Amino acid sequence: MSSSTNEMAISMPKTAAPSRWTRWRFRHRQAIEGWLILTPILLYYSIFFLFPIVANLYVSFTSWTGVYDSPRWVGLANYRVYLNPPYPLILFNTTLFAVVILVFQTGLAFFIALLLNEKVFGRGLYRALFYIPTLTSAAIMAQVFFAFVSPFDGIFNAILKELDRPIVVWTISTFWMRSFIILYSIWRGLGGPVVLFLAALQGIHREIYEAAMVDGARGRDMLLYITLPLLRPMVIFVLVTGMVGSFQIFESVLLISNGGPSNTTNVMLLQIYNDAFVNTRLGLAAAGAMITGIVLLAFSITNMRLLSRGQASS
Amino acid sequence: MRKRLTIGRVLVYIALISGSFIMAFPLIYSLFGSFTDLEDFYANPWLPIPHKLYLENYRVMFNPAFGARIQLGQWIFNTVIRCAWYIVIPGAVAVLAGYALTRLKFRGRDLAFTYLLSSLMVPGIVFLIPTYVMMARFPGAGGNSWWGQGGHGFVNQWPALLIPGLVNVFYIFMLRQTYYTIPLDFEEAARVDGANTLQVLWTVYLPMLKPVLTVLVIFQFVAIWNDFQWPLIVSSGNPEIWTLALGIQRMLFVGAQAKGIPQGTVQDYPFSFALATVAILPLVILFLRLQRYFVEGVQGFALRG
Repeated sequence: MSSSTNEMAISMPKTAAPSRWTRWRFRHRQAIEGWLILTPILLYYSIFFLFPIVANLYVSFTSWTGVYDSPRWVGLANYRVYLNPPYPLILFNTTLFAVVILVFQTGLAFFIALLLNEKVFGRGLYRALFYIPTLTSAAIMAQVFFAFVSPFDGIFNAILKELDRPIVVWTISTFWMRSFIILYSIWRGLGGPVVLFLAALQGIHREIYEAAMVDGARGRDMLLYITLPLLRPMVIFVLVTGMVGSFQIFESVLLISNGGPSNTTNVMLLQIYNDAFVNTRLGLAAAGAMITGIVLLAFSITNMRLLSRGQASS
Repeated sequence: MRKRLTIGRVLVYIALISGSFIMAFPLIYSLFGSFTDLEDFYANPWLPIPHKLYLENYRVMFNPAFGARIQLGQWIFNTVIRCAWYIVIPGAVAVLAGYALTRLKFRGRDLAFTYLLSSLMVPGIVFLIPTYVMMARFPGAGGNSWWGQGGHGFVNQWPALLIPGLVNVFYIFMLRQTYYTIPLDFEEAARVDGANTLQVLWTVYLPMLKPVLTVLVIFQFVAIWNDFQWPLIVSSGNPEIWTLALGIQRMLFVGAQAKGIPQGTVQDYPFSFALATVAILPLVILFLRLQRYFVEGVQGFALRG
């Protein structure tokens, strides 16, 4: 036994001297615990996240029905399909919806949060009412909303009939269908940003506004020079996560308009779904997924760069 | 605390009341409409006011006599199981991973976190098809050979609804941020008293993580309760394991038959309203009860995230 062990034996209770293995375990206990927790998680992640991304990339270069045959390499053929109609229109629709929904939803939510921030009576009730649509199921509410817009037995047309006006075949009109889907998405998505903005607004101390008032600032100045700058991190968060969400609307387009009239409300997610499960062209669908992913990544990065200009990194 | 009643405040109230009315209108319409029969429904399109309380829509849904096509109870049960599963496991994973990534120091810790974070930028659609194929070609399951060929794997079986999505990087991120706001003193005090890691997590951190965990529970519950796309893709062929969102969707097509209306004559909107109400009501009630904790959690996130 080395002398160091004897020294330890004097000051510690009477146990056997720790072996090298035990000492190694003690010195590295944080690493052992850390990897004990992380290894299953990283393994699961590699199987369910990393592998699908790689596999999707591979499948996008093949032609495959997924059921009857094996993948057959076709190179960039799937991506070339995206150059022909109706695919450019689909890309356009996806971007159009994403930007319009995001801008109006965030702006409206900000405005409402400002209103709610005043000492209003029943604030909790209003906040709940704004948030409840977000809790609903996209698919089921899409069915309910369809009831309004259905051409021959829908509610809007029933109202028009009551007013002795001619009915409008909403589902044939590009403008009405796009507007309706945008309105539906805004309706569903408003609650989240409202709650977040309100929480951030309530974190601003009253004293700042009072000090500004002493300096002669009016309401508009306070909004521009105090509120907006202080809320910037939250605005960035809402815009970045909102962009990811509004790019991926699916249920509403599927159930209200089914991409139609003539693909004018068809978005990437719907087309990918159709390609994969209706037309069984998995390679094409995978290519679509890659394209959507790249476009979304580009938008997100641009978004973050634009907004974080001058902002200290979080 | 009464503020002066100025024009400005009146306008604020007008805006808020009309705004929240507009938000609630489709839901109110749907609620009222679910209690009308078709005649009453079209009688007043502005707002369907039932002149007689018409419960047939609801009775049809809950009536097991309509056979295997409508199994509302089974679907609710399935959905609750999925919700519980997907709250407990991703939640536990997030708590553990958050702890490992913030409180433990070891080489490769930050690299592991960056590795996990990379998936957040990728849209969910990219995972859809590969995960489906993984479920369908799972080796050894559902008639598959060891290479995964031949059968249908886990498609239309329970595992396909329970295996994917157990590790949620967003929640790990959220928990990690929250761990950073908790001072180290509490854990150190517990360690001095001789607690091991599991005890520390359970007695010290878990109570302090309650706000963010409430947000996690609500988000997950809503997400899994409403989850439609994945069950649609992976379990369409087996009504026994459908979730509520999927089953209700399908009921819209079967419901007319169940009520004895020949299909194709008129779309039964009141019936779909009743379905929507049944699907939404549990979430609304849950939210109203937990609203306070939810707001606390979101505020914590907003001020420190």
